Formats: sequence, C-alpha cells, structure tokens
Amino acid sequence: MSDTTILSIENLHVKVADEGLAILKGVDLTLPGGEVHAVMGPNGSGKSTLAKVLTGHPGYEVVAGTVVFDGRDLLELEPNERACAGIFLAFQYPVEIPGVSIANFLRTAMQSRLVEGEELDLFDFQDLLLDRMNLLDMDVSFAERPVNDGFSGGEKKRNEILQMAVLKPRLALMDETDSGLDIDALKVVAHGVNTLRCEDPTMSVLLITHYQRMLDYIRPDVVHVMVDGRIVRSGGPDVAVRLEEEGYAMLREADARTVVQM
Amino acid sequence: MVEVVADRVAPEQKKSGALDRGVVERLAGDDPEWLATRRMQALRIYEATPMPSTQLEEWRYTDLSRKLCLDKLHSPVAEALPDDPQAWPERLRSTMAEDHDAVGHLVLVDGSVVHTNIGAHLSSRGVVLTSLRRAATEHPTLLEKYLATQAIPPEDGKLQALNAMLWTDGVLLYVPPGVRLEHPVRVTRWYSETGAAFFSRTLIVADSASKLAYVDEALSDDFDQETLTSQAVEVFASDGAHVQYVSAQRIGRGAFCHAAQRILLGRDATLDMLNVSLGASTTRVDLNARLLGSGADSNLLGLYFGDGDQHFDHNTSQDHIAPAARSDLLYKGALDDSSRAVFRGVIRVAEGAQQTDAYQTNRNLILSDNARADALPKLEIHADDVKCSHGATVGQLDEESLFYLMSRGLTRAQAERLVVVGFLGMVLQRLPLGGVVEKVTRVIEEKLRLGAHA
Ligand SMILES: Nc1ncnc2c1ncn2[C@@H]1O[C@H](COP(=O)(O)OP(=O)(O)OP(=O)(O)O)[C@@H](O)[C@H]1O
Ligand SMILES: [Mg+2]
Repeated sequence: MSDTTILSIENLHVKVADEGLAILKGVDLTLPGGEVHAVMGPNGSGKSTLAKVLTGHPGYEVVAGTVVFDGRDLLELEPNERACAGIFLAFQYPVEIPGVSIANFLRTAMQSRLVEGEELDLFDFQDLLLDRMNLLDMDVSFAERPVNDGFSGGEKKRNEILQMAVLKPRLALMDETDSGLDIDALKVVAHGVNTLRCEDPTMSVLLITHYQRMLDYIRPDVVHVMVDGRIVRSGGPDVAVRLEEEGYAMLREADARTVVQM
Repeated sequence: MVEVVADRVAPEQKKSGALDRGVVERLAGDDPEWLATRRMQALRIYEATPMPSTQLEEWRYTDLSRKLCLDKLHSPVAEALPDDPQAWPERLRSTMAEDHDAVGHLVLVDGSVVHTNIGAHLSSRGVVLTSLRRAATEHPTLLEKYLATQAIPPEDGKLQALNAMLWTDGVLLYVPPGVRLEHPVRVTRWYSETGAAFFSRTLIVADSASKLAYVDEALSDDFDQETLTSQAVEVFASDGAHVQYVSAQRIGRGAFCHAAQRILLGRDATLDMLNVSLGASTTRVDLNARLLGSGADSNLLGLYFGDGDQHFDHNTSQDHIAPAARSDLLYKGALDDSSRAVFRGVIRVAEGAQQTDAYQTNRNLILSDNARADALPKLEIHADDVKCSHGATVGQLDEESLFYLMSRGLTRAQAERLVVVGFLGMVLQRLPLGGVVEKVTRVIEEKLRLGAHA
C-alpha cells in the first residue's frame, strides 16, 4: 500500500444483517488518493451494497475482511464518524425526509464537523451554499425545500451532488448518480464533480455506473467490474468501452475468477 | 421561584381555600348579581353531575379518579404580583420580551391578570382586551350574552361546571365589526403556586368581518404537588370574521392541565387554530368546532410531544351544522420514554349539512419501546352529499432516514431531532401566522434538547 492510498479494501465479505444472505464475497480494491475509479457490473452484483457498507449502513454485517480509509480502520467507525472523516455517498435512491429543509440539514451537518464549542459562521455557510447551488445550476428556492420530498428523480440526484459540494469529502462514492439525469443535467453534475476535484486534487472518487456516458465526462483512472460480490476484472478506461460494446458477455470469455490486475 | 411563593403566602391563609361551597360563595360575593346567580347555578349542576369515569367512552383512557384529586387541591391564595415586570419571574419576563410586534399584551400570574396593554389606536376603535373579572362590571352586556352560555355552559360536563363556578379571572378580547388586527394579541400565563387549582376563562368575540390573531402561552416550573390548571375557551367568529387562535402549553410536570375549547363559526367565518401541548403530567383538551354558517372554514391543528410519563388526551369534534362548510383537522405527536397519547376525534355532519368537506388526520411518531399512542377516529354522517375522510397512523422513526442523515455527519441524536422536528413542523406549514411558527419550532427544539434525545 503506497502512502497515497486513501482506501484499501481487502477480502471483504458482507452479508445481510439478521439473515444468512451473502452479498459481497471477497472484495479487494485499492484506491490511491486523487484518482477516479469506476465500478461497473450487472444488476444485483453488489455495487450499492459495497457503497453502503463503506458508509456504515446498519443493515449489513461484515463477516470478514478489512477496510482501511486514510490509515484508519473504517469498519470501527459510526456512519457519522465516517462522514466527518471525509466519506460521502451520493445515494442511488436518496431518502425523502419530509419537513426538514436542505439548508437546515446541511447547516447541522456542517456544524457536526466542527469541534465541540465551535459555532458555524452562518454567513459563511450561506455564501458557500449559494455558491454551490450556483455551481450546480440550482434555483436558490431549493435550499428551503424539504430534503428530496417531492423531488423528481433527476432533482434528487442533483441534490446529492449539492450536498457533496458543500461537505467537500475526501472520498466521494457516487452510486449511479447518472441514472435519472437528462443529458444537460449530467453535464452540470459532471462539471460540479470536476470542479471539486480541481479545488482539491487529492479528492478521490469511486463512481458506480452502468454507462460509458458518465465516464466521458468524469474520466476514470481505473475501471473495476463486479460480478456476484467480487471484483472480477480491473483495467483502464477501455474496459468500460468494451463493456458498453459487448455487454457482460465479454467476461465469460475470460475466466471470471481471474482478477486481472492493471 | 418556590421561595418567592413562600414569601407571598400568609401562613394562616394556607389552611383555608379547599375547593368547597365556601370558595364559590366567596367568589360570588365579589360578582355582580347576574354573575353570582350563574356561579351558584353552576355549583348546583356540578353537585348533580357525577365525576366522569373510565366507563365513559370519552374518558376511557384518562382515569380522573387517579389523575385528579380535587380534595387535595386548594384555590390559589398567593397575592397577585404587581404590574411590574421587574417583580416577575425571569422566564415569564423573557417570554414576554420576545413578542415585539404584538398589538396587545396580557399577563396572568397564578390565574389573575396582572398586566394589560392594548394600543390606543385599537381601543379608540372599540377593540377590548381586558381582564375578565373587570369585564364583568365594565362589559356586562357582552359577558351576559356570551360567557358560559352558548359555547361552554356548565351543563357541558362536570369539569366545565367546575370551571364555571370557580373561575377567578381570564381574558376578554372583543374586536368590533370590520376591524382587522394586523398582528397577534399575546397572552402569557405563569403559574407558581404548587398544589393549587387555577380556573380561568377566555372569551374571544370576533364581530362580523373582523380579523384577529390570538396567541396564548402558558408556562411554569415543575410542581412538587399535583396542581390543576383549568381553562374554558370560548370563541365566537361571526359572519365573515377571521380568527387565528394559538395556544402553547409548557406547564411544568405535576400539573393536570385541562382545556375546554369551543369555537362557533358563522357564515363565511374562517378559523386557523393550533394547540401545542408540551408540558404538564396530564393534558386533556376537549376541542369542539361548530360550523354554524355556510361557507365557514376551519383549520384545526395540533402538536404534542411527550417524554417521561406524560399523558396527552385530545378529544376533538368537528360539528357541521350548516351546509357547504369545511373543516380540516391535523394533529401530530411524538412520544418518547413511557409517554402516552390518546387522540379521539369525531366528525359529525348534521342532516341537511350538504356539501360538507371534513377531514381529520392524526399522526404519531413513537420514539421509544415504552411509549404508546392510540387513535380513535370516528365519523357520524347524516347527509349524503359530503366529502369526509379520516386517517390515523402510529409509526416509528425510519431507520433509512436516520442513516441518510448520519451519512452526512449528524450524530444519531441530531438525526432523530431533525426528523422529529420535521415531522411535527409540517403542521406549522399550514398555519399562516409568521413569527409564531418560528417560536413554536424553537420551543419544540428546546424540549428535544432538554429531553433524553439531546
Ligand atoms: N437489505 C437487503 N436484504 C436482502 N437482500 C439484499 C439487501 N441488500 C441487497 N440485497 C441483495 O443483494 C444483491 C446486491 O444488491 P445491490 O443493491 O448491492 O446490487 P447493485 O449491484 O447495486 O445492483 P443495481 O445495479 O441494480 O443497482 C441483490 O440481489 C439484492 O437484492
Ligand atoms: Mg445499485
């Protein structure tokens, strides 16, 4: 593991809590700081589960394996501690929280990152929020709307990236942010993510997607393919291009159990 | 606070004042004759009415024989505080100080009005905001017509009769025809005498095409002895009048808090009403909106949030007498620890009240394994061309929502707090009354912070 590694997953086995169902069956993945890695794979292969386990979702149980984030044992931390340590998940299916405004929620989230006794400067926060809404081409009225309540599919996805842009994570996990976005919105969101990466070149991205289209805008350094709870292939951007052309049939030619290292 | 009380109470006075015929006679002695007669009549009704037992549907979940021991209570004996904020408890002062834009203020301490203030421009136009005790001599015609007659007469029930015979003071707000108050009238109540029974009445008369907003806030420290606060609230919204009524109850533990509220709405009258129950050990609210004129429109909102062993019993009824009137009730509550809530709501549509729109919703959020909520909605419909619905839910905090918020950095407690405030706060979005919404949100947040979920 190099010094710059931000995330290192080794032999991660995960099952559904309170059930026997195994979902991740030995995931290995190393993400150097500042890089963008894409994770692709058929429906139900475990991509979202991986993202949620990294975020600390209580519905899953880690049976074996280790996850080291920024030199710390990630699995030891509560979801909020992981967030404060710099992990952010843009959810595939963001939850609706009626009655809680985006501004109020983000203010509380920002406040929670400060040390005890320190108060968030509300003017600074307001400026940051406005700036980020501007970056993502969002109407300011969104700030007062309840989180995801009554949002369209695309608006929910954009709202995820707004939160990410405000909270500035060290590691952004993006779970199918592209699904549900129209072409223009996809460009806006991609531009937002790329702006964040310019602002902080050490920020890393783990980007889950089914489509090459997203990867045209956010260029991956490495593409991983997950099948049935394992990473079965890792390679350069051309892996995504081939997948787009040939579908997952291409994997059957190779031995799915052989993990192709870069 | 307790020390202040002790200073004010003369020791020999403490013994007297049990809630008996003697107290009623003493109160009647200070009344004008018409009022004294009514007080004694209320006493007769009280004596002839049995205490409601849990055998009665309406009292099934609140056992008065256990929760209210009238024998142990005495009528208040402390002397009234002076009309000087410097002499008032700090919490009362600071609550008052928040309300700058009110058009009038009234302060009651231990059931007696100690301060009244109404803009001269309003009194010159005939607006009346005064102590009910003074009004008995200064506005007898108004009181004779409206006080404990058409809205909450003693015949209504045992506790209503008790109030009618023992009330000591209260609020009169009268707004003449066509006069529109642009900002709320603020009433603040402070209770300090422990072991006492406080009886007060509120009479609000909004004459035709007038507009008023009334915000009533009750608070106290905790009581070490059972203490009763009983209120009878009578609201008359005449034809075309617009009334906004808000009550927020943050009385200390140990209190049994009873409010009987009846609102009579005339033709095209509008009512926006919010009851916020946060305090007391036991809260019982009997709310009745009577839609007497066609085109009347009422929004009945309620919020409660319990912890410890608090008990809330909301008993509501929407009576559609006239056709083409609308009523929409939404009560929401969150319950923590071993607190408990009962909501019993009925929509009654009288024969001939066609084109009625009546809705009733009660939603509860249970925050602990020991908390409990029961909802008993009911429809009694005697007309055929109506739109009515009722719904009730009892649910728990959604784990996915909490995880979502925690994944942004909020602690579990912060996430719970946000979800609860959001859940309750949605009721406030239906109340078009600026300032009050922020204030109520703040007091809910304050209670959440003080509670176990801090
Ligand atoms: N809490 C759960 N309970 C039961 N089964 C689950 C649970 N979570 C995930 N699964 C199952 O685990 C498998 C992997 O799910 P996951 O959501 O991780 O797939 P995915 O790769 O993200 O798929 P998609 O591309 O459709 O989003 C699926 O078969 C899913 O049904
Ligand atoms: Mg998925």
